[in-house]
Amino acid sequence: MKGFSHFMSGVAVASFGPWAIEAAQSGNPIFFVLGGACGILPDTLDFKFYRFFYHHDVYVTPDPKSPDPQYVADEIARAVAMAVDEKRYINLKLVSVRLGADFWQQYSVKFDNNKLEVLVKFGPVVNTGQVPVEGTEKRYPTVARARLKAKVIQTYDAALKVDIFDGPTVGLKPMDNGDLDLEFLPWHREWSHSLTVGAFLGLLWMAGAMLWAGLPAAGSLAGALSGWAAFKGALGVLFQHYAVAWQGFVTIAACYGVHVVEDQLGHMGSNIFFPITKLRTPGLHWMHSGDGLPNFLTVWISCLLIFWNLYRYQTGMTFHFSFLHLMMVGLVIPGLAFAALRWLLTRGEKIVVVKGDDADDEWNEMKASGA
Amino acid sequence: MSAFWIVLLSVCAGTVLSSVLACLPGLHVYNVMGAMVLGILALEGGTHAIPPDVYLPAMTGMIVGWSMLNTIPAVLLGTPDESAMFTVLPGQKYLMAGRGFEGTMITAVGGLAGAFFLVCVMAPLAPRYLPVSQQVLKGHMHWVLWVIITFMLMSEWPKGGNRGPAGWAKFFDAWKTLIAGLITFLLAGLLGFILLTRSPVGHEVAFQNIMPAFVGLFAIPWCLLNMISAANVPPQRTAKSLAINGDVILRSVWSGGLGGGIAAYFPIVTGGVGGMLAGHATAQRDERIFIMGQGVSKFIYYVGAFMLLFVPGLNLTRGGGAWMIKTLYTPLGWADYYLVLGSIAVASGIAFLMMEPLTKLTLKFIDRFNYRHVSTVALAIIIFMVVAVTGWIGLFIAVVATGIGLLPVLFGSRRLNCLGILLLPIACNMSGFGETITGWLRLT
Repeated sequence: MKGFSHFMSGVAVASFGPWAIEAAQSGNPIFFVLGGACGILPDTLDFKFYRFFYHHDVYVTPDPKSPDPQYVADEIARAVAMAVDEKRYINLKLVSVRLGADFWQQYSVKFDNNKLEVLVKFGPVVNTGQVPVEGTEKRYPTVARARLKAKVIQTYDAALKVDIFDGPTVGLKPMDNGDLDLEFLPWHREWSHSLTVGAFLGLLWMAGAMLWAGLPAAGSLAGALSGWAAFKGALGVLFQHYAVAWQGFVTIAACYGVHVVEDQLGHMGSNIFFPITKLRTPGLHWMHSGDGLPNFLTVWISCLLIFWNLYRYQTGMTFHFSFLHLMMVGLVIPGLAFAALRWLLTRGEKIVVVKGDDADDEWNEMKASGA
Repeated sequence: MSAFWIVLLSVCAGTVLSSVLACLPGLHVYNVMGAMVLGILALEGGTHAIPPDVYLPAMTGMIVGWSMLNTIPAVLLGTPDESAMFTVLPGQKYLMAGRGFEGTMITAVGGLAGAFFLVCVMAPLAPRYLPVSQQVLKGHMHWVLWVIITFMLMSEWPKGGNRGPAGWAKFFDAWKTLIAGLITFLLAGLLGFILLTRSPVGHEVAFQNIMPAFVGLFAIPWCLLNMISAANVPPQRTAKSLAINGDVILRSVWSGGLGGGIAAYFPIVTGGVGGMLAGHATAQRDERIFIMGQGVSKFIYYVGAFMLLFVPGLNLTRGGGAWMIKTLYTPLGWADYYLVLGSIAVASGIAFLMMEPLTKLTLKFIDRFNYRHVSTVALAIIIFMVVAVTGWIGLFIAVVATGIGLLPVLFGSRRLNCLGILLLPIACNMSGFGETITGWLRLT
């Protein structure tokens, strides 16, 4: 899913904490900010930190002066051979080809498992907006081929297209049957996209907040072990004293977790219980992460949930409504009206909607972010 | 003359005036409206007092005309204000492909679609639903701003660090742009604290005190960039068709309406921020939808915010236009609401018709002169406007703001970070610790 969808989901989850709304009503935005920030944090960790420290075994760096597809094909075949011969995971980096301040040479890589070949073709020169420069489309008609030592299995149809900014990393993992499993962006959703990391970050917050709060007043816990009522009283004192600590823990863990859960609806999946689980659990394939409608619905439903939660804690309302009423007015009726209008306006026309590919959309989003 | 004709003529005059003025780079409609407000206030009580029947439709027409036609200098001359910023990059791409006419006309269609959406969809629903949402949200505006700031800063991706072995060198290379973005946001915020607390601009033009800073942050860096790097603009062709259909228009209204609506409703959230949020929320990949959506967003942002002042039962003051009208007039109910809605509808039609000839005229100007010279003239006009409206001290503010506005240009970071000038001080004030910060800065 796109960053904004995760972000808004995080804010929506945070709004379910009564403490978040109470704090906001007294001018403190911290829980909502935490919610949004933790909603997007897993991708931030990957794209802004971890990927710069990720080790690669083979760097494929085409020469910008004379781009040679055969060199790229040979290097990819060499990486495959390394994975087969050395029986280990190989990280292959396909480096982008920068031709000028705003121009990049595009190239694409395809694995043909029937012929055991890798095919590389240099495409058009594109600008930073990924728009082809006119007249450059057919500059390099040659398709370079190189023999592979094993089949390279793509679990989803990741487009191995290299153009602007950073080129992708491809992980080649030997499987028991001798084939190689291709992992697109192995540094992404490796450890950062796990519920356990969210809980761990929440614990860090909790520890910090508890240290900040210090010990409860002397005597407030006295007699906690003398009886059930006294124990409950002492527990209440602790919860009250460390309110920001445990409330922050719940907010962080839940908002971070919702990112992991949402990513599981797509193709790539997440490593849900790192370090207990070592690999990504494949996603449910319900959507492409860059699709417009699911992203919009996520954002919009999040907004409606936030609105509902704010309404529940608002005193002195002169107009009252139910959750169903809100959903009908805010989602169902506008949705139906939009669909009907679209049907009316496009009757008899063939509408082609530009669709996302299966490649991770956070990757595409990062590359496309400009303004 | 009957009230109908007075209103109609006022709308037409206001729209035509602002449509022509919109083509001047650097001049904001609020500058002109501000001067008009001063004039109307001066005439008040005298024999030549101007009645609301004249200035309300005229000012509505001015906002409508400007919100639609300011795309012309933004795209064709490269001098955007903040709300048109997102239109510039794809718009200039069209210009460099000889399709500048098409690019601006697509945003105009977006503006017209925005007018339909506002008058036919939003206007009937607003009096029923907006007062309710205002009741729910009124105590929560501050955290909405903080959340938007958080997203703005966290959603900027690194652009460097793309080659070489893994390690700190790669990390620092990548973080150059992000650090530049954060510094831009903080410096702009600092400038905002100064201007909003102790503006050096004279009190008689106090309502314009942020204008030179905005010009410096957004328009001047773009002009300088065009002057330094100006590629020759290819000959422009006039397209016979814009290749858009109902689906494109509907999707544009959907994304642009959301962005513009957010910007119009929430205080300090400007058209640029709304456009960014809507772009992220609706995930549209089609360039035409993006450009047209920005046209919708800009229209809803300016005109929708103005309309909110007149919504019966709401009377929300958002945007410079509404604040200025509020000093002159208090909306009285349904009659004023219908007057403004009618004015919006008429003005939108006129502004749309003005778009084609004025775009062609500007393109002729660009065709005739070197683009570098065009940018130089645009810059000269901007500087003249700043000095004329706010004096030499305004120019000084613009120079300081230009220094900040050049940071994103030099480091390739997001220009939207310049909006820290409003977002940071206002968010701090709304959360109740603005005074503490101005105290630290020794401004209070």
